Amino acid sequence: MAGMSVADKLKRSADASLASGQLSLWGTLQAAAVIISIIVMMTPFAFLFVNSVKPPDQFLSIPIKALPTEVTWEHYQSVFDHNEDTIQFLANSLIITVGTTIISVCIGSLAAYSLSRLDLPFRLSPIIAFAFLVVRFYPKITVALPYFILMKDLKLLDTHFAVIIAHVSLTLPFVVWLMLTFFDELPKELERSAMLDGCGPWQRFTKIVLPLTGPALATAAILTALLSWNEFLMAAVIAPKDAKTLPVRISSYITDKGILWGPMSAMSSVIVVPVMLFALFVQRYLVRGLTLGAVKG
Amino acid sequence: MALVRIWRSLEQGAIVIESAKSDFTPSRWEIFKAQFSDKGVIFLFLIPAVLVLVVTQVYPLLYSAYFSLFDWTLARSPTPGAFIWFQNYTRAFDDQIFLQSAGTTATFAIAATAFELFIGFLLAYLTVGERFLVQVSRTILLMPMVIAPVAVGTMWRMMFSARAGLLNHLLDIVGIDGPDWLGDPSIALISLIIVDVWQWSPFVMIIYAAAITSLPSEPFRAAAVDGCSRWQIFRHITFPLLVPVTLLIVMFRFIDALLTLDIVVTTTFGGPGFRTHTMSFWIYQQGLRYFNISYAAATSWLFLITCLLIAVVLLVVRRRLTRWQE
Repeated sequence: MAGMSVADKLKRSADASLASGQLSLWGTLQAAAVIISIIVMMTPFAFLFVNSVKPPDQFLSIPIKALPTEVTWEHYQSVFDHNEDTIQFLANSLIITVGTTIISVCIGSLAAYSLSRLDLPFRLSPIIAFAFLVVRFYPKITVALPYFILMKDLKLLDTHFAVIIAHVSLTLPFVVWLMLTFFDELPKELERSAMLDGCGPWQRFTKIVLPLTGPALATAAILTALLSWNEFLMAAVIAPKDAKTLPVRISSYITDKGILWGPMSAMSSVIVVPVMLFALFVQRYLVRGLTLGAVKG
Repeated sequence: MALVRIWRSLEQGAIVIESAKSDFTPSRWEIFKAQFSDKGVIFLFLIPAVLVLVVTQVYPLLYSAYFSLFDWTLARSPTPGAFIWFQNYTRAFDDQIFLQSAGTTATFAIAATAFELFIGFLLAYLTVGERFLVQVSRTILLMPMVIAPVAVGTMWRMMFSARAGLLNHLLDIVGIDGPDWLGDPSIALISLIIVDVWQWSPFVMIIYAAAITSLPSEPFRAAAVDGCSRWQIFRHITFPLLVPVTLLIVMFRFIDALLTLDIVVTTTFGGPGFRTHTMSFWIYQQGLRYFNISYAAATSWLFLITCLLIAVVLLVVRRRLTRWQE
């Protein structure tokens, strides 16, 4: 077993126990951990989906029916009913997510490129890069109140624009730092020779650098989209009515006195299911985006 | 000589050195212009992002610091009232509910981070490898952290419901009379911690899994040659090597846990009473429900300074430890 990393070793012992048909203690432990954690992680999801198709009278029967005797779609119907503005909220969420992703990835990667290639005086480049990072580490509630007043004064309250810009500022730290890592590692020779051929900075950036960092851009876009789609605080503060997003709508089910379980689960499913499907397709990028900073540290 | 110096300064560009080899020799002015316009354009790339940062973060922060020194309730008047120096700040330290919320937040963050580290590490250590089952499980374990915390709250509110929740139903089957998870003052905070641990342990797991996979193999080789036991290898090699990444995880998770708001809104809404008012939730209520704008701003600044101090301390500790390791 000499000459193997701990990962190889663990993997080898697991594979060996599987191949020989008998489970070692380690293999059993592994399998048990995986199965238990999957069950624990998935149960709340299952309960949510089941509740969203459960007939209303079966919620409060005693003992409760964990599995309904019949399936009904009436909660989804009521959520998408005419006097509910769910379609509007869904559209708002989509507009804000797409807008945030496009703007944040564009200006974030531009800024990261600039910070990576430019040596500003007074060590300004690392300081500005650090300033972007700091945004990640203080309470957004401090910003939310004055931002609310600012938007009120600018008559921008309750507009898509106000929410998008707020979300862009929240997601910029991720985009800038992710792209900064990639740009710093890119070999400079290509850009140098392009510069010799008379390529300006803009051409070098769009024709050479961006095509090389496609996967990184995808990762940044995915993280940004998820953050924006799920964000609650800023959206709740700035967009209480016309530009209301789905997370804000869900929260309003709670403050009402009696909770309508059916519609609440249906609405929660509407916001959860697209993200789960999305995450399934892009999980490779997601894992990389989440681990990149930490492991390089 | 002057020209050479300018060429040197163009190190990244390297146009001039190349072109100097040919017959074409640019004048100083041309070099200056080329250098200036090139760097100037790259500098312009920075402007939009910085502008957004200034409008949405820097200006609001300064504005909030400014009106935290006034007596201002938005419900009473649209403009700040009298200038009262730091009275909003001193008032916070006499405010029992504020202090209680601070305690709640600290308890919540410490407990949640500790459990997440433990469970996340255990899961990572147990699921290292590329077997199919492991990969599938990793994909599934991603789900809690990609969905909206608000929806996590509604899911767990249904799980926790005393009468109609799944948790008490399952406990009932085993013969245990389950508690009122969200309504009992002594349990509500524990329930919130469970929700946070459920959502974020997978995050810890994924980072640890990546870190374990990228560990250097030499120490393990040496340990294997020396005939170390699995526990010895873990205690003396794996664990010390993982200290830096652990501190990074602590920084991310601890600060995020301090800022928790979404799941509080959709599970307990701060209740019962003020039992689960986290700092963010308390400020949110002060500012946007009672419109005590300046008081909320002052307390949010106290909160902000605490968070940044913690982040700085963790960063410094991490730097010390990694330097020692090298």
